[in-house]
Amino acid sequence: MARVQLEHVTKRYEDVIAVDDMNLDIEDGEFVCLVGPSGCGKSTTMETIAGLTRPSDGNVYIGDRDVTNLAPKDRGVAMVFQNIALFPHMDVFDNVSFGLRLRKYDDEEIERRVEQAADIVQLEGMLERMPDEMSGGQRQRVAIARAIVRNPDVFLMDEPLANLDAKLRVHMRTELQRLHRELGTTIVYVTHDQAEAMTMSDRIAVLNAGKLQQIDPPLVCYNEPANLFVAGFIGSPSMNFVQGEVVDGGLETKNFDVELDHAAVPGAGTGDTATLGVRPEDIHLARKADAVTHPTSRIEVTTDVLEPMGDEIFVYLMLGEGAERTMEEDPMESPDQLLMSVTPDTDIREGETVDVVLDRSNVHLFDAANGNALVHGIVDLPGSEPGTTPTEAED
Amino acid sequence: MTPNDHDTSRDGGTDVEAGGETAGSEGYSENVNRHLPRGGRPHTRVADGGTALGGTDDAELDRGPFSRWVESSIQSPERVYKAMFYVAAIFFLFTTLFPFYWLLMVALTPEGQLEDIVFTPNGFNPGAFIEVFEVLPFHWYMFNSFVIATASTILVLVIASLTGYAFGRLEFPGRTPLMLLVLVVSFFPPAAFFIPLNDLFNTPVSMLEPIMSDGTLYNTPGAMVIPISAIFIPLSIFILTTFYAQIPDGLEDAARVEGTTRLGALFRVIIPLSAPGVATAGVLTFIAVYNEFFFSFLMTDGQPENWAPLLEGILGYQGQYEILFHLMAASSIIGVLPVAILVIVAQEKIVSGLTAGALKE
Repeated sequence: MARVQLEHVTKRYEDVIAVDDMNLDIEDGEFVCLVGPSGCGKSTTMETIAGLTRPSDGNVYIGDRDVTNLAPKDRGVAMVFQNIALFPHMDVFDNVSFGLRLRKYDDEEIERRVEQAADIVQLEGMLERMPDEMSGGQRQRVAIARAIVRNPDVFLMDEPLANLDAKLRVHMRTELQRLHRELGTTIVYVTHDQAEAMTMSDRIAVLNAGKLQQIDPPLVCYNEPANLFVAGFIGSPSMNFVQGEVVDGGLETKNFDVELDHAAVPGAGTGDTATLGVRPEDIHLARKADAVTHPTSRIEVTTDVLEPMGDEIFVYLMLGEGAERTMEEDPMESPDQLLMSVTPDTDIREGETVDVVLDRSNVHLFDAANGNALVHGIVDLPGSEPGTTPTEAED
Repeated sequence: MTPNDHDTSRDGGTDVEAGGETAGSEGYSENVNRHLPRGGRPHTRVADGGTALGGTDDAELDRGPFSRWVESSIQSPERVYKAMFYVAAIFFLFTTLFPFYWLLMVALTPEGQLEDIVFTPNGFNPGAFIEVFEVLPFHWYMFNSFVIATASTILVLVIASLTGYAFGRLEFPGRTPLMLLVLVVSFFPPAAFFIPLNDLFNTPVSMLEPIMSDGTLYNTPGAMVIPISAIFIPLSIFILTTFYAQIPDGLEDAARVEGTTRLGALFRVIIPLSAPGVATAGVLTFIAVYNEFFFSFLMTDGQPENWAPLLEGILGYQGQYEILFHLMAASSIIGVLPVAILVIVAQEKIVSGLTAGALKE
């Protein structure tokens, strides 16, 4: 078990910067997910920790050791790969004991450890099999057994569940959490699936374009995203964004206005452009909005498409007059569309004109220029006493 | 149309009494029905072919055997392909195996009776296969060849494995030009290297003096292993590069995280998984070195104690006044045996190795 630190790690390839000045501090025993879209540098970051890639700049520490120039085998890490990477010419026992045999453990010790690892991942009785005789889930468990058998300081998992079918993936997710609880080893887990990251990790590190955007517990990333990218990436379906201009006493967008005490929002002067972000579940029908303590004024919308999901209904809302359908582009990016989620018993039809309100305590404002969050929750109204914002405004 | 009409009339005369003249475009089905019992085999082409050709008596033509054969070939071309396959296979087997057969006939023919060999030996003298070892220490020559071929194969496989790993799995500037350079070197005629190498191997090197009596490589296995390996290495590099490039990166990464170095991953994971490729490269190199003539002939003085290889032994039966053809033939057959056994044992791997490389390229 050990702490993992990355200090100013940069990885440059000939024409691209895969990882740009990354600083990460992963606590001993923590389960951290690196998430981000394809090509954001999360796998490169992982390879840098494993030692498969040497950083162009910066240092990597595992425990108290600077491992920047150490070979992968000397770092005390174990890795589970996306394509599982079992050695096809060895049976399960040889695969699992590969690392132990290289380290010249005696036979009894190897046998004992392999049995123990097989027990943890429930592979008893399969040690004689060859990898091509096993199912995807079993192979993945062999790969995990191979990783845990050496008692590594750090587990690195590079999308280990990506190649499994949906049902097995959910099952293995639980297994991994159980494993983490049993072993208490530091786990660094790479995934592009934000649901996986939300459910499993102690902290999520959101990466984009080689840069760390935010590292926080899942709910903090969800409720207080540090910038537009995190806000859009975490949560499914993603947050609605509407561009607007800060005016005296409010924010004017193309189709509606929101009251705002801009004095209480640092960094938002009159005349600045800002992006308003609101999650689908924070838009409410005005006629059912009694429970919303800080509603905005009513916004008239026309319902477009309804997507019943069983436990909720997604309603696409058209704003303004003559709003054009923009099905090709991401509807959340369009100033004329909003996505609302309502309970399944709601009486709502397509093509209906209704009033909606936003929950002010969950409205986010972002600086339109650099995307950084200005404030989470705009409860303060113009003229009221500042400083009563329940959600802390960061940055 | 015309040939059909002509045939029809002839047909009518010889075979069917009423067929020819009534066979018009009217009611060909009736015509067919009428012919079936008499004509025997119903002709499948009549139903549609009859109208198209304006005649219905296709089936009843009195053709010669060649025409019938052509017709059946057109209808079932598989038979022709099969026949062609057998012809080609027999031709190939004949050209490949006949020299061996001839060699055996020469070997079995007693000395001095060679002129009358046709397809059987002129006499029967299996003792030639023993005499071979009595006249010259032929086993010694074979041993020398075996050592040279084995040493070259090991050297080639080790160097080509490392080179193949670099070319197949690493990205580095100048990879393609270097690969082309290797290719170009392999196209050099061996004779171009000979004179400088011969000069070099005859120059005493003080460093070698403790090992070699006169400090030169001439008359040692090194004088053959070094140049021959150099000539045959490019082929192995190409084979192994192709194979090593196909092993997924994840496996090598996994091995390295588990505790091997890059070199360890090569020997523990990449080479075992490329076994067909390694076997192919090894066997091809072994055979090529074992059969090599140029350097083997010129880098020793021809004495078995000076590491003269197999072919010096075979040529040794050629004296100043007589040529013992039957012994040369017998020794050739004995010399071929190790390679033949090797190929039979390894052929499955060689075939899969060669085709895998070809298909996945």
